[in-house]
Amino acid sequence: MVDPESFIDEKVAEIGDAIGDDNAVIALSGGVDSSTAAALAYEAVGDQLTPVYVDTGLMRKGETEEIEETFSYMESLRIVDARERFLEALSGITDPEAKRHAIGEGFIREFETVAREVDARFLVQGTIYPDRIESEGTIKSHHNVGGLPEVVDFEGIVEPMRDLYKDEVREVARELGLEAVVSERMPFPGPGLAVRVLGEVTEEKLAVAREANHVVEEELEDHDPWQALAAVLGKATGVKGDNRVHGWVVAVRSVESRDGMTARAQEVDWATLQRIQSRITGENETVSRVVYDVTHKPPATIEYE
Amino acid sequence: MTRIVVVDNHGQFTHLEGRALRDLGVDTDIVDNDTPPSKIDADGIVLSGGPDMDRIGRSVDYLDLGVPVLGICLGMQLVAAELGGEVGSGDYGGYADVTVEILDETDPLVGSLAPETRVWASHADEVKAVPEGFVRTADSDVCPTEAMSDTERDLYGVQWHPEVAHTEEGEAVFENFIDICERAD
Repeated sequence: MVDPESFIDEKVAEIGDAIGDDNAVIALSGGVDSSTAAALAYEAVGDQLTPVYVDTGLMRKGETEEIEETFSYMESLRIVDARERFLEALSGITDPEAKRHAIGEGFIREFETVAREVDARFLVQGTIYPDRIESEGTIKSHHNVGGLPEVVDFEGIVEPMRDLYKDEVREVARELGLEAVVSERMPFPGPGLAVRVLGEVTEEKLAVAREANHVVEEELEDHDPWQALAAVLGKATGVKGDNRVHGWVVAVRSVESRDGMTARAQEVDWATLQRIQSRITGENETVSRVVYDVTHKPPATIEYE
Repeated sequence: MTRIVVVDNHGQFTHLEGRALRDLGVDTDIVDNDTPPSKIDADGIVLSGGPDMDRIGRSVDYLDLGVPVLGICLGMQLVAAELGGEVGSGDYGGYADVTVEILDETDPLVGSLAPETRVWASHADEVKAVPEGFVRTADSDVCPTEAMSDTERDLYGVQWHPEVAHTEEGEAVFENFIDICERAD
């Protein structure tokens, strides 16, 4: 296990040495990894670092506002409203890897603009060890801005947490004094809700996913899951009132894990599951069914795409 | 300081094997599986799991280095295949939660886990017959060879993943392996 205090001292010094008097950018997603990397780098070089948060429209309910507030202490923080551009880029795409690719391209476009504006010479990333492993294999592609270095000619890439695991990052985040809303934040994938709606990303499916994820996170808070989520799978028949509904099927998933490498589906009591079901079908006219995913990892992954 | 290297056969969990050893306080490194045997300086070797028997590099060469070897998942299968055992696809894939029964409670690697232990697994193939000199030290409902040992040559294998957080007594397996390496030293 990493010693957070000496890790922070060491990395702040390292980042300062690497960046020197130049400018740097970091893609801030609000997740614990990029937030911790941003806090480390900000401590090292202050406003020479421009943290960039892109509102893709694929975020969870209230997420953008929360991040704006948490990181308001960084004067250089940029919030980019790119919702329309992302939705347009995703239109018509159904293949999971193609979706991730389109989102990656979108992120690169947005960051390129800012990086050029602030004349950034360095890119800071919150890459952690398992990201590198899963990217090296071909299980899933990671890194929202993985292709950025090919577009912008950075002098260097700084990845202070490349050898850490998620649980170790949380230790570091706590030691840095990041608010619990960040340090204890559930992992959320870079492509956001796009990987929690199977097939094409549409505004309608995103709206269902956003509300359903909110319900799941709220209702399962006491179960203290490592990650809890809802995904929109497809359509199935239901009946609401006296009308047949060809509505969305929402899968609910809640897992325990230490590092995300393996996961156990949580045993959730019936009353809680029923309350989740009732809220999701009751609050969303277009949802006809809610199912609970009982599969561990392996053989399933935590996210659906 | 005891030094145990992890040979990377491109497994998803290879780095967790490194982490488990690191957390137990031994000197450890993850090395590529095409590293020449003469370049390996260690008191023990862990052969990681991996996706494919065609990508095990020089793993079998490390069996002749005269230090204890622990094969994990594919790492165990390659030991079995190389030394004259039989490996084939199982009728029933072993994924996630498996209850493993310990068959030999005096075994230095898994004996301390007797009578049974809950492990996390991820495999389609299995060891159908262990090589001469080996004994099966654990089995389960889904797999006949959950662990095997040759205490004479200090070669060991487990079909499941002691390095992942969901294996209940995984740390004990690494502790036992470290003891084996220190005794052999």
